[in-house]
Amino acid sequence: MNYFVRLSLLLATLLLPAYGMATPASDSGIITIVIEPMFGDQPLQLSDKSYVDNFGDTLYIDLFRFYMTDLDFDLRGDTTFVLAGYSHLVDAEDKNTLSFSVKIPAGTYSTFNFTAGVDSFENTSGANGGDLDPAMGMYWAWNTGYIMAKLEGHSNVCKTLHHAFEFHIGGYMPPYNAARNIAIALPRAMIVDHDTRNTVRIKADVAAWLTTSLAKVNSIVIPGKDAAAMADNYAKMYSLDKEVQIPLIHK
Amino acid sequence: MKYLVTACLGALILYCAFGFDIKPEDIRFVRPDGWPKPVYDFSKNKITVDGFKLGRKLFFDPILSRDGSTSCASCHTQWSAFTHVDHGLSHGINGLKGKRNSLTLFNLAWNKSFMWDGGINHLEVQPLGPITNPVEMGNTLENVVKKLDTAKGYRARFYLAFGDSAITGQHVLKALAQFTVMFESFNSKYDKYTRHEPGGEMTEQELNGLKLFRKNCESCHNEPLFTNYSFQNVGLSLDTELKDYGRMGITQDPQDSLKFKVPSLRNVAMSYPYMHDGRFRTLLQVLDHYTNTIVQSPTLAKEFRKPMVLSLQDKKDIIEFLKTLTDKDFLFDMRFREERE
Repeated sequence: MNYFVRLSLLLATLLLPAYGMATPASDSGIITIVIEPMFGDQPLQLSDKSYVDNFGDTLYIDLFRFYMTDLDFDLRGDTTFVLAGYSHLVDAEDKNTLSFSVKIPAGTYSTFNFTAGVDSFENTSGANGGDLDPAMGMYWAWNTGYIMAKLEGHSNVCKTLHHAFEFHIGGYMPPYNAARNIAIALPRAMIVDHDTRNTVRIKADVAAWLTTSLAKVNSIVIPGKDAAAMADNYAKMYSLDKEVQIPLIHK
Repeated sequence: MKYLVTACLGALILYCAFGFDIKPEDIRFVRPDGWPKPVYDFSKNKITVDGFKLGRKLFFDPILSRDGSTSCASCHTQWSAFTHVDHGLSHGINGLKGKRNSLTLFNLAWNKSFMWDGGINHLEVQPLGPITNPVEMGNTLENVVKKLDTAKGYRARFYLAFGDSAITGQHVLKALAQFTVMFESFNSKYDKYTRHEPGGEMTEQELNGLKLFRKNCESCHNEPLFTNYSFQNVGLSLDTELKDYGRMGITQDPQDSLKFKVPSLRNVAMSYPYMHDGRFRTLLQVLDHYTNTIVQSPTLAKEFRKPMVLSLQDKKDIIEFLKTLTDKDFLFDMRFREERE
């Protein structure tokens, strides 16, 4: 219930400005990206809900954050529309971060691409702002660079203080760059114009990330080989849930 | 005459009370003739009077540390070329000791990386090192932003500097960079000598020192910046307590074991002790190490593979030359003094 109230409120807030902007039959449309943190086939709940991983171990997730940057959309055919410099930080704890809208030119799109993480340019360009502000808690001080994704939780199989596990994955220097390119194919061509609102719902599945036993690996907090290997796991987290197109009624 | 004295006295009192006022001409960055192009991209952080003054205020404000005890200036004092003079290992909050000797701060616009291990890749994010190090300021940037937001006067200063009174981590870091990037040192006796200016007259001993320096030290400490910004193993024995392998901690590459950044030798006579862990108190001890106590290891710099030969007199001459790299204009530059309110 609560969820639907939120969703409609969200849609309402997003629709109103778009409606206002649409007057000069603009050649662009709005796409809303919605992120759904999951654990397998269940919506992810932080801290108080237990899950069982692929190794049969019971665990709790306490924190789950990741960057989506370098968004772009492939037009059917060969051209790509790039949203230069768009960076978004998803935090499972903060509902406001679980959806965002972008304006793109009208067209028929086949794929949504993004970087899971932050590319090397942003890692070497000093103090950035917005979601890339180093005050967002996703930045290493002693060895410059973004923490591209964070996953923290606890499980009795972890022989650590408070049975905690923590994965702070990052690193931009080759060969251990932890940014991964993700392509989400849209099953039917997505038509974007000023008369419709498109929503792309993407699942981010923590279970897909945890493909090594927590008893064996429960802490990676520096860039390097292990972080890069784990980045290969989190690249598998993302999948399309569904794509919705809502017609807008213009007066 | 009486008037003049009164006026001067008055000016001095006013000056002491309010500090040096910054004018637009005071924040013009200079690229001295013959120097390479700075690495720092000024176009992305235009220096303004208000930005510089905000950075200066932050530099001297212990509010940046978790317990309000330690500021940047605590370990970076101007008269020692912004290092922690007389401290082998610098200490921060709760009297905790770090594992390295604080570096000098000047000509930072030319630095390709920061810290002894080069772990920090950009001037703007350099302050995050000391701010978050548990034995330095023990804080987080998030918390610094929160504290500044409620501290008196800061929101207005951020508005003046960046047109936004909402304080962000980005703006804290950009302001600090606007201040520290202006620490320029290019007016030592040596500089005046190379520019054939008055005050640049070198003694015979200093000139002999320069000759020996160019023969023995120049490959890493090259002019005019007196560093080539590389990382080198200079044959120091591993401190068994600190177990500090330097650059390897950043790159995870065994070929970087025991390598540390080549520091600039400008103002070196003012910034003792020396080396990454401050193990030598005098320049003579440093030179004695280079001739007598090099520890051979696979990553040792090629320059030290065969022993450096210098007589005691040679060393004394080199040291006399190194003293000509002291830049009093920089060490006593009023622009970098704490602002009094």
